[in-house]
Amino acid sequence: MPKVQIKHLTKVFGKKQKAALKMVKENKSKNEIFEKTGSTVGVYDINMDVNEGEIFVIMGLSGSGKSTLIRLLNRLIEPTSGQIILDGKEITHFNKKEMLDIRRKKMSMVFQNFALFPHRTILQNAEFGLEIQGVKPAERQKRAEQALENSGLLSFKDQYPSQLSGGMQQRVGLSRALTNDPDILLMDEAFSALDPLVRHEMQDELLDLQQNVKKTIIFITHDLNEALRIGDRIAIMKDGQLQQIGTGEEILTNPANDYVENFVEDVDRSKVLNAESIMIPGLTINVDSDGPNVALHRMQEEEVSGLVAIDSKRQFAGYLTSDAAVKARREELPLRDVMMDMPKVKPDTIVSDIMSIIYDATTPVAVVDDNNKMRGIIIRGAVIEALAQTEGDGQADE
Amino acid sequence: MNNLLSIPKLPLNDWVTNGVNWLTENWSGLFNAIQNSGQSLMDGTTAFLTAIPTPIFVIALALLAWFTTPKKYGLPVLILLGLTLVDNQALWGDLMQTLTLVFWSSFIALVIGIPLGIWTSKSPKAFAIIKPILDFMQTMPAFVYLIPAVAFFGIGMVPGAFASIIFALPPVVNLTHLGLQQVPEDLVEAADSFGSTTWQKLFKLELPSAKPSIIAGSKQTIMLALSMVVTASMIGAPGLGRGVLSAVQHADVGAGFVNGIALVILAIIVDRFVQKLNTNPVTTVKLPKWRKLAAWAMVLIMVISGAVGSVMASKQAGKQVTLGYVEWDSEVASTNVLAEAMRQHGYTVKTTPLDNAVNWQSVANKQIDGTVSAWLPVTHKAMLAKYKDKVDVLGKNLTGVRLGLVVPDYMDVNSISDLNNQADKNIVGIEAGAGVMTAAQKTIDSYSNLSGWKLTPSSSGAMPAALDKAYKAKQPIVITGWTPHWIFNKYKLKFLEDPKKTMGGEESINTVVRKDLKKTNPDTYKVMKNFKWSQDEMQSVMLDIQSGKSPEQAAKDYIKTHKSQVDSWFK
Repeated sequence: MPKVQIKHLTKVFGKKQKAALKMVKENKSKNEIFEKTGSTVGVYDINMDVNEGEIFVIMGLSGSGKSTLIRLLNRLIEPTSGQIILDGKEITHFNKKEMLDIRRKKMSMVFQNFALFPHRTILQNAEFGLEIQGVKPAERQKRAEQALENSGLLSFKDQYPSQLSGGMQQRVGLSRALTNDPDILLMDEAFSALDPLVRHEMQDELLDLQQNVKKTIIFITHDLNEALRIGDRIAIMKDGQLQQIGTGEEILTNPANDYVENFVEDVDRSKVLNAESIMIPGLTINVDSDGPNVALHRMQEEEVSGLVAIDSKRQFAGYLTSDAAVKARREELPLRDVMMDMPKVKPDTIVSDIMSIIYDATTPVAVVDDNNKMRGIIIRGAVIEALAQTEGDGQADE
Repeated sequence: MNNLLSIPKLPLNDWVTNGVNWLTENWSGLFNAIQNSGQSLMDGTTAFLTAIPTPIFVIALALLAWFTTPKKYGLPVLILLGLTLVDNQALWGDLMQTLTLVFWSSFIALVIGIPLGIWTSKSPKAFAIIKPILDFMQTMPAFVYLIPAVAFFGIGMVPGAFASIIFALPPVVNLTHLGLQQVPEDLVEAADSFGSTTWQKLFKLELPSAKPSIIAGSKQTIMLALSMVVTASMIGAPGLGRGVLSAVQHADVGAGFVNGIALVILAIIVDRFVQKLNTNPVTTVKLPKWRKLAAWAMVLIMVISGAVGSVMASKQAGKQVTLGYVEWDSEVASTNVLAEAMRQHGYTVKTTPLDNAVNWQSVANKQIDGTVSAWLPVTHKAMLAKYKDKVDVLGKNLTGVRLGLVVPDYMDVNSISDLNNQADKNIVGIEAGAGVMTAAQKTIDSYSNLSGWKLTPSSSGAMPAALDKAYKAKQPIVITGWTPHWIFNKYKLKFLEDPKKTMGGEESINTVVRKDLKKTNPDTYKVMKNFKWSQDEMQSVMLDIQSGKSPEQAAKDYIKTHKSQVDSWFK
């Protein structure tokens, strides 16, 4: 039996709910419905099951109703109609007291902006859930300290949230949720407010954690990469309605409709691909003003082994490898003397033409415009990917 | 006058009056209970505060300030210097009275206001009802609250506190409401998501979050209660406000400033101590333990010395008498002389300066024992008519009094009928409630040559100041004057003849006491009945006060020189 079952769950905000629901059935857009009735359809007719121990990701753009959906699960928002079944018990009609018990024991939530209590220390934040349940101070402190130790924050326990970095604060938020030892973790865009590196780190930590604790995690995000990295199954929402549920692979290979297809950035195959559509921003180094140390430092930071060289006028100049930079440092040469040449293409060069260039090149290919201004770079993988997709469409390109 | 909608004028005035009267009559039991318990509570507090020896009070408070904020010397130094100055100006007792009034008014306002703020933030309906009432309370002039306060609770500390509470309530309600509204949405969600009950959410999240806002509101409330002290002194609330009010009525800049600066010192000290409660846990350094202990020790020293002092002071005082008077120079003289004489004969006398109308009302309601300031038959005619069944008129204590319109003798008018357009057709008067003002208004209405003249109210202190200015510039001025008054000694003035006798003929000052004084306190009754003196004598005391003696000192000097006469009052 699934851990959580959701049947025909609907939430309409506002007064004229009947009219709004009628318009949803007629496939009217959210804006139209709002203009007409002044009501907003948060979510409409959601059906899904979440299994024990899986990370179930709900995706969608902002306004798609994903945050409403997660709040319906612990009834921070009251559903208009439909059923939420938890461990075989329908909780939609639980009274206030029973619902408090569900929130205290079964579900905990992690928020996008951490939602830590600024007037409480880290430890007091972590033990909040147990304090609410009336657990004795010594006991709840011990459990909160254990949770903090697991996330490596025990030494900060007497500090206040404002004294910690974003990543640490979110670890506290996670510890606070885990101290209760709930069955289900609800995570509402938990990593969206963090910078990309920390975000990556937190995703890894969450996956590690999941190995140990085996919770049911319902995770909301608007970032496809995040969904693909951590989700066992992914549900995609649009305008409060569910578009597709499946594993990452299923969604990429068999998108249920155009929306999903576009959403997962599947390229439009009717269009001939050119350099511009597959290039990525290139990491640059100014060879006129920067020296080898700066170049090496940047490579280390960005985790790459080469940089595109440009001059002071931001004109494309060449390519600088890490070996060349090391050589320049050792022999005290300017960067200009050690950089190597790099193949160039115009933005409108088509992919199949790039193929032959990149095949021989030891470096990525630079995309420059007519004025020799740097636009981006193309890496080998992108070309292969693009060709593989066009071949799959039967447009062999030999 | 054509009315806008040609409907008759609504009797709004009567409705309110009847409503208040109905309340006063039907709820008198409750009001009296509040008045009595409140009065004894405040008297107890004042007694306790004044029982703490001043040096101990000042030093302990300064040390308390220092122990609670290390490395900051501003507040302790202010306390030492400021309170020493207040004591040096002989205002310590007044300061303690004011502190009592402010403390209880603020305390009750906060006890009512913070829960109201919480309630309005939880219930939009309650907010919709309470918000307009609060706005109404905040914009209504504070003086208006004094009127029902006197009707309900008479005079003294309790009505003062009542008016202060109404006046000072809105800010703490508004800011508590605001602070609770501004708790970040996601924190409320977080608290909910962990299964907090409404109360847990309130105490663990909302109140701590709203604390800075609540403290700010409390500070405003305390400051408003402080500012009401002056206003409340018009209905007999004792303390520094009385000094300020009396200074206004006598146009005495120095005394006003001294009392005012004492209020400012008190306000700053209170404000800084309240501010200490507003700590940010993130930035505040925890106080070391010894400082906390030392701070508590200071509080303990003050409490113990206060308790010991009050026990020692509670030896039974003599016969209690309360005299009401109006802040006119003549009445300051007579009331002080009588009070001083009674003190020397073993009475404990409280004198309370009041507005004329309130003075009469207080005698009628048995709030005070009596007054020697009743000007009859003309000046206080309206008052006597209103209260004649409720008071006991004991007779004249001073004869040969005269009221009239007075001009400097350089003006060439001799009779009211001669006035046409002098002095911008303006008569400079005194307090609007005074009897002489009623007579002057009647005079304007009855003399045809005075049509178009107007009567400008000011105060008994401001009127001589206006006269002085005009006199020095040799400008025309018409004032409402009366004898005995020191202005007749200082300037060359003349009464205008009054052929229609609307300003009253010869008058006398009378003694009026409460109806049951003869039964309950025959000794006091006898003294009040015997009290008599002459216009010359009064004039001499008034001159002494005018030339810089304190009223008490002037009264003592008079008693020394007229011993046999004063003793005859007590036979």
